[in-house]
Amino acid sequence: MPSSTSNFKRILRLPRLFFRPPTEAESVHGGPPLEFERPIPQIPWRGMTVVVVVIVIAAACAWEFYCRSIGYGPTLNDNEDLWTLTRQRVKPESIVIIGDSRGWFDLDLDELQKGLGKRPVQLAMGGGCGYPVLADLAADKTFHGTIICSFVPWLFFAPPGTPPMERGEKAVRRSHTQTPAQRASQYLAMPLEEHVAFLKQEELTLDDLLKRLPIPNRSDARVPPRLPPYFGTLDRERRARMTEECARPGSELQKRIQQIWLPLFTPHPPPSYIPTDVFMAKMKDAIEKRARDTIAAVEKLRARGGKVVFIRLPVTGGLKALEDKTTPRNQTWDPLLQSTGAPGIYFEDFRELASFNCPEWSHLSAGDSVEFSKRLVPHLRAALGM
Amino acid sequence: MLFNSLTFIVFFAVVVTAYWSIHSWTARKNLLVTASYIFYGAWNPPFAALLFSTTAMDFWLGRRIAKAKDQPSRRAWLVGSVCMNLSMLGFFKYGNFLLENFQWLLARIGIVYHPPHLDILLPVGISFYTFHSLSYTLDIYRGVLQPTRSLRDFVLAVSFFPQLVAGPIVRAGDFLPQLVRPPRLQIGQFMWGLLLMTLGLFEKIVLADTMLAGSADRIFGYAGPLVALDSWLGVIAFAGQIFFDFAGYSTCAIGAALCLGFHLKDNFRFPYAAIGFSDFWRRWHISLSTFLRDYLYIPLGGNRVAWTRAAINLVIVMFLGGLWHGAAWTFVVWGLLHGFYLVIEHASRALIGERAWTANFAVKLLLGLITYGAVCLAWVFFRASDFTIATRMLRGMFGGYPHGDAILATREMLQIGIVTFFMMLAHWSLRDINVETAVTRLPRWVVTSAWALMACAIILTQGTSNAFIYFQF
Repeated sequence: MPSSTSNFKRILRLPRLFFRPPTEAESVHGGPPLEFERPIPQIPWRGMTVVVVVIVIAAACAWEFYCRSIGYGPTLNDNEDLWTLTRQRVKPESIVIIGDSRGWFDLDLDELQKGLGKRPVQLAMGGGCGYPVLADLAADKTFHGTIICSFVPWLFFAPPGTPPMERGEKAVRRSHTQTPAQRASQYLAMPLEEHVAFLKQEELTLDDLLKRLPIPNRSDARVPPRLPPYFGTLDRERRARMTEECARPGSELQKRIQQIWLPLFTPHPPPSYIPTDVFMAKMKDAIEKRARDTIAAVEKLRARGGKVVFIRLPVTGGLKALEDKTTPRNQTWDPLLQSTGAPGIYFEDFRELASFNCPEWSHLSAGDSVEFSKRLVPHLRAALGM
Repeated sequence: MLFNSLTFIVFFAVVVTAYWSIHSWTARKNLLVTASYIFYGAWNPPFAALLFSTTAMDFWLGRRIAKAKDQPSRRAWLVGSVCMNLSMLGFFKYGNFLLENFQWLLARIGIVYHPPHLDILLPVGISFYTFHSLSYTLDIYRGVLQPTRSLRDFVLAVSFFPQLVAGPIVRAGDFLPQLVRPPRLQIGQFMWGLLLMTLGLFEKIVLADTMLAGSADRIFGYAGPLVALDSWLGVIAFAGQIFFDFAGYSTCAIGAALCLGFHLKDNFRFPYAAIGFSDFWRRWHISLSTFLRDYLYIPLGGNRVAWTRAAINLVIVMFLGGLWHGAAWTFVVWGLLHGFYLVIEHASRALIGERAWTANFAVKLLLGLITYGAVCLAWVFFRASDFTIATRMLRGMFGGYPHGDAILATREMLQIGIVTFFMMLAHWSLRDINVETAVTRLPRWVVTSAWALMACAIILTQGTSNAFIYFQF
């Protein structure tokens, strides 16, 4: 095969940029006569390939330029593989942040490290329920560290089969079953995602672009509510930071997100196929079971010397009013602390924590998250008996 | 590793570059064996040992069959190979299914038995590579293949990474002759391979995962009754999803093999333009249907026996074909339904015979649409995880829930409608030719634009490395 290989090298050195008919050699299979041989279309492959490569590169560059021009920047995607890589950093005595996106955006790892003496591992996830991660850490017999669990009642008590619960379960499952190929793909994806803005899953993919089309639905269609658009960046430690555009007072993006939170956090009507009272009873059972399971997980951790502290992070504006109405503190937060015996920090109880404004009602800006974390540290130290 | 992953892109680029840079054919084959085992081990390294042990056993048994002096000995060695392969498949794939059914049977006669749940991890693609390997001993027994002297060549034939985990089921007899002499690198063949890989990935990432999978998953995962429109659209979405998913994998496999100079046969030929069910099975998962035909249906007597016996043979073959897809009764019902369809078709042909009016295009189209509808009905059992869901879906499809829920967004309905319309158009336009002919006939700017558009759509979609549906089989 030396001759064919050198031919190939010569061809590679001097690509033909123009269409040309295939040579006879290209149309004949070079190996032994085969019983079956695939036909190869006889078209000018070299010229076509060059044109395709040029079009694809030009289109990708144009798309990248456009995405950056409308405010998107490179950031890592939060997926189960990144979560798994972070989960693997948990040491027996680590401080671990779990829960929802508020724990993700509002807690600054540098400030917590300064105040608590150890760099926390960030395992909270956007729109996720913290329970599966709490249960996983409780089941990990080597772990006897500290868990800081962000608590949003609507997410923490999400019943099995709902998106917040599935998100947590999927991440935990991946951490137990990640294949070498999935791990390698994550390592390959990270440098790309850190430099290319359009590689933003859940926002700039074809699927998400299609979802943005303003097509009205049938009046009676039970369509899931929309999720908020891109408003944060993520680094390799999974530290999330709100974008400047979202934090800018009165920005359009901010208003859009605010209006998306409201239907997302409004209790959905019971399914049509289950009587309301049966459904409500099922929900009550699911919440009570979650409470019992949480108590068991906390006790298991405590028995090994681990600690758990629940924190209720700032929420403001219309979303706070909605949460206070649908998941009042005396029915969610107070019973949780009482039943688990775990310490808790509720932002409203402390003036220095309650004075923050969430630009889109649910999360702190990147700058405020640093100051908030600094102010949170003494409370955490007290709660953890440090 | 998955074709639709970054790891595979890097892996493939490295393998192809190294492969065409090496002069020695032996070294190239060694490279492919190593690459194939890395490809497979990237899922779960211990399963690579299982793959090798199955292969090595069949290599040895193949030689024993060829060397055996009399027919009983040959048969005994073949039975050994079949038992070894099927018991491996049975243990990993059907262990829990068999135990559960055994428990159910005992309960019927009043014996309470609680079998332990076997915590068995199913090796990826076991159904495929078992058949790759089994075809070798079966063909030696049938006298259509000489055993190879090289274990390495046979290991490569079974584990060749493009077709290892989800087909096509490439028979050793089709692959081993290609290992005799090295192929020459040809630009046209290499680029056609890349175009086929682009097409396959486009089918999987864009059409199956992005345009159809979400709707199909929501419809089949919904716990309540659905109105007829949503039920039908869910099934139609799944019919498209499974085609693009599986045909996409096969197209990628054929393309990747071509880039390395190997020729794999078609696994799909525009199946939704099939007129009748025999035609459907000549177009859908061709490597499995021909495998079952040659190694099961024909040995059972095929259609050379009495009509009733041939019908029973068909049902047996389709029953086993259903079971091959998964350890669940829903798959069995799917297979039996197809068996039933085939029997009905054979009976109709016997009654009606070849009439001139059956060649009319309108009649063909009507028969084709009936075939598609019946295939969709069968997909309900294939996709539903249990009979409760399947029953609810069928009831919804036939108007059993006029006040059921509507859960699809208008956008999703449009996606399903548009993709299905163009899929059917493509299948009917191309049903009597192949992709290669179509590409040769099309204006070059159309092919170039389509290739570029597919590549751009793949980049835009990004994909989340969803596994191919057939990996679980």
